[in-house]
Amino acid sequence: MKATALRTAVIMGVGGAALGLLALAACASSPDENRLTVVITPDFNTYVTSVDAYLTRRCGSLDCHGQPGRAYRIYSREGYRLYTIQDGSLVSGQQPTQPEEQRANFQALVSLEPEEMSRLMGRQGENPNQLLFLRKPLKIERHKGGPAMAEDDPGYLCVTSWLKIPVVQGDGTPIPPAQRAKLSANALRNCQTATDFP
Amino acid sequence: MRHSHHSLRERLGASLALFAGVALVGSMGSSCNLDPVHRAGVNNLGDEQPDLYPPETEYHRPGEPCALCHSSAGPADTQFVLAGTIFWGPDRYDRRVDKAYVRIGGPEKTTKCFVTNCNGNFYVRSEDYKNLKFPLLVSVERVNDPAGPGPDAEKSIRVRRMSSHIGREASCATCHILGLRDFGSPGQIRMYDTESEVDVAKPPIPAQCPNEDPPVPQCPEDRP
Repeated sequence: MKATALRTAVIMGVGGAALGLLALAACASSPDENRLTVVITPDFNTYVTSVDAYLTRRCGSLDCHGQPGRAYRIYSREGYRLYTIQDGSLVSGQQPTQPEEQRANFQALVSLEPEEMSRLMGRQGENPNQLLFLRKPLKIERHKGGPAMAEDDPGYLCVTSWLKIPVVQGDGTPIPPAQRAKLSANALRNCQTATDFP
Repeated sequence: MRHSHHSLRERLGASLALFAGVALVGSMGSSCNLDPVHRAGVNNLGDEQPDLYPPETEYHRPGEPCALCHSSAGPADTQFVLAGTIFWGPDRYDRRVDKAYVRIGGPEKTTKCFVTNCNGNFYVRSEDYKNLKFPLLVSVERVNDPAGPGPDAEKSIRVRRMSSHIGREASCATCHILGLRDFGSPGQIRMYDTESEVDVAKPPIPAQCPNEDPPVPQCPEDRP
């Protein structure tokens, strides 16, 4: 009787392990190295000229997003430096923010939620608070750094004006950078005020 | 009946043993630090150096991250909401700024000023700045003779302001790392950017600390 029970247990165990292995193999297909996630990104030039300075100043201090451990990692003169350029010679607080750092900041921002960013661009920037990037500083979701923006402050208005610059037509056709709208005078003023604020 | 009594006693004993076990583990948790990251950070500070400063006093460990230990996670008894050390130059550990006015501005236009001691240390306890909220702007000023008698006593020798704000870190030295200037740290807080500028300026540096100098407990704006 005991031997039968033992045999049954062994058979069940081996069968279960085989099933588990099969399930694992089904899940773990080899990654496709050529696969890309295409992101419809907001206007890069406007980001560089009007938005990056505000975000680096507001969010990029060394004790906040100017850290390697942050998914939204910010490089700037006032904070963390991109050490893969200029032989790692950039020092926090010294040289001006470099173009490569601005590009890295832009890439960090748009790749936080690439699909959500694409959807936002597809609807011409309407309802931007869907982005985690705004939900956190607005404290719609938990943010360790506390509230960092409000819907009526110049920084938020600067960022959302930038996100509302159409980068695709209604049918999804991309709009070339040179043909895209520019920030309004009011939006530019908001960006400047937000950047100048200590 | 006798059997049931025995069983009740056994159960009571088992419950007491469980309670004692939980209490033991709980007390270990409160006296020792069970957070391995925090524990490693504290251990990495190393031992106190009695030849450099009086251990476990307000003068100790200049340039180190004060609020690592002076936090709710311990092991220090007091908690700081902001603390740091001011140096004259970017490299030398032995040239620290005594009697410097450290002015802190909060987002609700609150301001407070604190004074460094003879080892360059300053610290802010929560009761010292009740409405403190981050982000903070900070400036440091050293005048000729703080709280001194002469007409030029409060004339500024040097003022430095942080070019960015403090987002939420209580220890200055977490970002302003002692003896390091690189992509991740601007280096120790200093009044001059080079040691040769300090040589030229010849600022007052206390020969020893603690010393007999009268302490300066308040900034000019807080004095009666």
